[in-house]
Amino acid sequence: MSSILVVQEARRDGSARIFQETLAAGRKLAALTGLPLEAAAVGDPNANIFREITGAPPSAGHAIRHPLLAAYTADGYVLAFEQLIRQLEPRYVLFPHTYQARDFVPRLAARFGQVLIGDVTAIETGPTFERQLFQGRINAAYRHTSDGPCFVSIQNGAFRADEPSGGTMPISEFLPAIEPAQIRIQPSDPFRESAQTVDLGSAQRIVCVGRGIKTADNMPLVEALAGALDAELAASRPICDNGWLPMERQVGSSGQTVAPKLYLAIGISGAIQHLVGMKGSQCIVAVNKDADAPIFEVANYGIVGDLFEVVPALTEAVKAAK
Amino acid sequence: MKIVVAIKQVPDRDAPIRIASAGKWIEEADLQWAMNEPDAYALEEALQLKEKHGGEVVVVSAGPERVATTIREALAKGADRAIHIVADDLGSRDALGVARLLAAAIQPENPDLVLTGLQSEDMGLGQTGVILAELLRLPHSTLILHVEKTDAGLRVKRELEEGWFQSIEMPLPAVLTMQSGGNKLRYATLMGIKRAKTKELRAVNAAELGAGPAPVVVLEQITLPKKQKSTQILSGSPKEAATALVEKLKTEARVL
Amino acid sequence: MNDLLRTLVEPRHFALWERLLFPALAAASIYGFYWRFAPILRNIQRAKKDPGFHLFPIVKRVGDFVWEVALQSKVIRQRPLAGIAHASVFWAFCAFALVTLNHCAAVFGLGFLDPADRVGRYYFYFAAVFALACAVGILGLFVRRFLVQPKWLGELSWGSGVVALLIFALMVTYLAAFFVTGPAAAVHALWWAHTLALLAFLPIIPHTKHLHLVLGPFTVFFSRGSFAQIPPLAGDEDFGMVAGKDLTRIVSLQAYSCVECGRCMEHCPANNTGKELNPKEIVLGLRGYLNEFGPASEEPLLGKYASQQAVFQCTTCGACEFQCPVGIEHVPIMVGLRRGAVNTGAWEDDYGSKLFLALEKGSNALGMSATERDKFIEKNVLPIFDGTQEYCLWLGCMGAYDPQGREIVLAFARVMRYLGITFGVLRKEKCTGDAVRRLGNDLVFQQLAEANLETMAQNKVKKIVSICPHCVRTIQEDWKEYGAPPEVEHHSEFLARFASRLPSVQDRKKIVFHDPCYLGRYRNVYDEPRKAAALAGSLVEAPRSRERSFCCGAGGGLAFLGEEQGERVSHVRTAELTATGASVIAAACPFCNTMFRDALAARDDATPELLDIAQLVAQELPRESAN
Repeated sequence: MSSILVVQEARRDGSARIFQETLAAGRKLAALTGLPLEAAAVGDPNANIFREITGAPPSAGHAIRHPLLAAYTADGYVLAFEQLIRQLEPRYVLFPHTYQARDFVPRLAARFGQVLIGDVTAIETGPTFERQLFQGRINAAYRHTSDGPCFVSIQNGAFRADEPSGGTMPISEFLPAIEPAQIRIQPSDPFRESAQTVDLGSAQRIVCVGRGIKTADNMPLVEALAGALDAELAASRPICDNGWLPMERQVGSSGQTVAPKLYLAIGISGAIQHLVGMKGSQCIVAVNKDADAPIFEVANYGIVGDLFEVVPALTEAVKAAK
Repeated sequence: MKIVVAIKQVPDRDAPIRIASAGKWIEEADLQWAMNEPDAYALEEALQLKEKHGGEVVVVSAGPERVATTIREALAKGADRAIHIVADDLGSRDALGVARLLAAAIQPENPDLVLTGLQSEDMGLGQTGVILAELLRLPHSTLILHVEKTDAGLRVKRELEEGWFQSIEMPLPAVLTMQSGGNKLRYATLMGIKRAKTKELRAVNAAELGAGPAPVVVLEQITLPKKQKSTQILSGSPKEAATALVEKLKTEARVL
Repeated sequence: MNDLLRTLVEPRHFALWERLLFPALAAASIYGFYWRFAPILRNIQRAKKDPGFHLFPIVKRVGDFVWEVALQSKVIRQRPLAGIAHASVFWAFCAFALVTLNHCAAVFGLGFLDPADRVGRYYFYFAAVFALACAVGILGLFVRRFLVQPKWLGELSWGSGVVALLIFALMVTYLAAFFVTGPAAAVHALWWAHTLALLAFLPIIPHTKHLHLVLGPFTVFFSRGSFAQIPPLAGDEDFGMVAGKDLTRIVSLQAYSCVECGRCMEHCPANNTGKELNPKEIVLGLRGYLNEFGPASEEPLLGKYASQQAVFQCTTCGACEFQCPVGIEHVPIMVGLRRGAVNTGAWEDDYGSKLFLALEKGSNALGMSATERDKFIEKNVLPIFDGTQEYCLWLGCMGAYDPQGREIVLAFARVMRYLGITFGVLRKEKCTGDAVRRLGNDLVFQQLAEANLETMAQNKVKKIVSICPHCVRTIQEDWKEYGAPPEVEHHSEFLARFASRLPSVQDRKKIVFHDPCYLGRYRNVYDEPRKAAALAGSLVEAPRSRERSFCCGAGGGLAFLGEEQGERVSHVRTAELTATGASVIAAACPFCNTMFRDALAARDDATPELLDIAQLVAQELPRESAN
């Protein structure tokens, strides 16, 4: 039976969003090919991952169960999915493009003499699969040219999840054969780095404050914003020179070089010493009262205004959005 | 410990990207080339392991003539010798095809450890190392920041999503794909460049490594993305601007 | 009448014992000198030859020699009082050459200056004038050394005291001979006193800093030929100053010539702001190294006698080298030691590595994407150089990426347009390599210099103008190692040339101009930027200005090296400039500009405005010439 198999992965935070997005991608592919959708995941058939279905439910769900799959290993997952795919013979296998999928799917695909089309952002007629090259500077369209199963992974956020439908699907258990000796690596439980040392370099979100803050008394304003965003607080050199924040929180040529996903520059004009320390940030937001401040040249989003009004409003807006 | 590092030469990040007339690939004539950064971190890790435990670091790279400059750079930074798989047609091979070339060159070396970057800065496939492990029938782990040799093999630190990490024990030989930033890269030195001149750089023709099956995935067309980055200034009252910003961060930039 | 005819009294006849004792003592004295001096000379001779050294043009060498040695210009100019005292001693020694020779010859009856005849008498009078000045001078120096004790002279040494005493004794015993009237025994006693002082002095020379008496003149004569000149590396095994084997003859000669006067540390921005670096200790460290290990040693230079940290605190401002009275060239020594550390990978510094890696791959020292430069050029409609324009406007890293540097470039472009002078900017430009050159990374520097020289040739660039003195210096002097650079000038020189065609203002605001090291000491350009700045107001001078200007702290690649030890150099200089009461600080270097901007931001008082001279000039242009 030829189908589109959409694979779900259990997330640490229990969220089903990326599964729902992958389902949406599967539906797009189903519309283009006329093939039915099926779903698969490692775990208990009663687990939430099979319940939070959005849109029309897949025709079947496969719960892969084995004690050796309790902790993720590439060896175990490759074996399990290899057996499932050999049994189901799907035409397409869709994964969410997560760190876990990146770890084992290329190996799984190679076992079938196939190559994963990874980090796909769109699916068009053909079907062709779009992905980005050169760090987003080029879009590329790929086509699968073999008879074997086509492995695809879907970029987080590229497809919008459908509305919850409350639908259910029949779930069957799949019990792969795995020997302990086949699992060659031993993972430990995930951990986070202790929060003792400030590591701005690996922070995902940073709120950075500059001379626009004027006095140390105003620092709680930005502290509140950082708190609301679950972000690290950092500063430009004059702030650290004044001792309003410790030196290790200084961003810039004589301080740390950072590259978070979100960088908020509050009251920072954007001298070169500062720019070289944060230019690699994915999304830069600047708040400054001077519309000509150089920071706006590098920012993705800007608010020209008094930070003493904008920052509290922003803190409220972030809280409201949660 | 004998370590093989697979490196790739990629267009310099700064290089202006233009699409060639056929729309299948970029214009390569005007490009500057550099070592893929995650591969540079893989090389750094290999050199540090060698400095700690002794052994040999062998660099393998596939590509046309120009790749030799990047190989020389690796030798200058401290690799002991290198294998250049001379291939002018890498673009027409898929990740499996390229990995097959690398595996054919690495296999006879019988390394204890194979390192490579987790992905390339040009194609961004992030698969070559993992496929290499499959072809060499070795265990692998990806997104590695730190490698420690133990009596039984290796203990590695793997990056997970959202600030989580994991420690993994694995036997040798193995394949690891390295994440950027786990180490500090060393700079190239004049002494290194001069010493590199006397190191072995063996060129192997891709054809000698055997022709693999046809590619299963083909790149049909490339285009420039429509949206260019520019600054969006959000206007209105502080409250309106703040609300609009949060909405954009959620839906457009997807960073919240 | 008799008094006018009074002349030097010398012993008429010497007893046999005197004729035997004198040569014996003289031989002992000479041996004492040679015993210590020979190994020093050997260390200098056995050191490797200086690559790229040329004796020609010899006229300049002779000129420098006359000006600096014979006329004692540097000694006097930098410390007038002590300098004149020193010059008195020096000139007296010169005048005494004949006197001393005659004095010694006399014992064998071979005296050639007869106190009785005209020539002899007048020469002795002539020498007496110097002797008197010398006696006063040495007393003054003695008082300074042992009572005033300026800190740059370092710890007190017995040698200085003994030498001062001997020189004083030499002069007094000489002068006394004009007054001695007593019996022959007294005359002989005086002769012997003078002789013994002389013979005691000679062996002390090579043991103390007074070695500069012998070596100093040679050091000045055999200089590298120009200020802060970085010599080329020779052959495949030369990585700079790694070990003793890399010390050249010039370096060794200089190490032994140091007179320990401490002018270098007195003016050193690092030493003055609480850093470890003391240029004097670096030079004396080399001397100590040579004495212990010799010039062929493999023992690393950075270690026992010099610290790596200190060497990387140098801003290469050149104040030390500029002031040095015995011609020691500190900048090539500092850069040489850095080369040794960087070219072999021994220097590990996160910021330094980041800079090097950025320039191994990228185009600029700031690690920015080259497309940012393209955007800047496009947005401001700067013409692209195509060979038809008169000038190639070199942007440099700061001019292309730094928001402040861009303002300077745009202001200067406005001035050029106002004057109707054609210019264009290069489509592609790489960092000139200034910072990596001074930090000692020859690999990256060579790559940058060669790539840029090729761009110059391709674009047929004839004349470059730049807002950055570092770019100007590097293009003009340092690129030479890899090809022939085009003509290059700093925008201050350009502005001064056209000053008469530029509007000047009536509103006389007070402007203090800061001399950038790489424009002043390195290029000898002092008046041109002042001429340009004067169009916009009236100039006041900082306490340290022109050739004694105090560094901003950015040079030598230090702008890229993270936080400083001790006080920030930029803060010290900014405080000094602010204290002049000027309402504008005029800079002529984008690095100075950015350092001062940072330092001014950290001050609480009402701070002066900070502008480049190009911005000052552009402010006065009529409005319509914008764009």
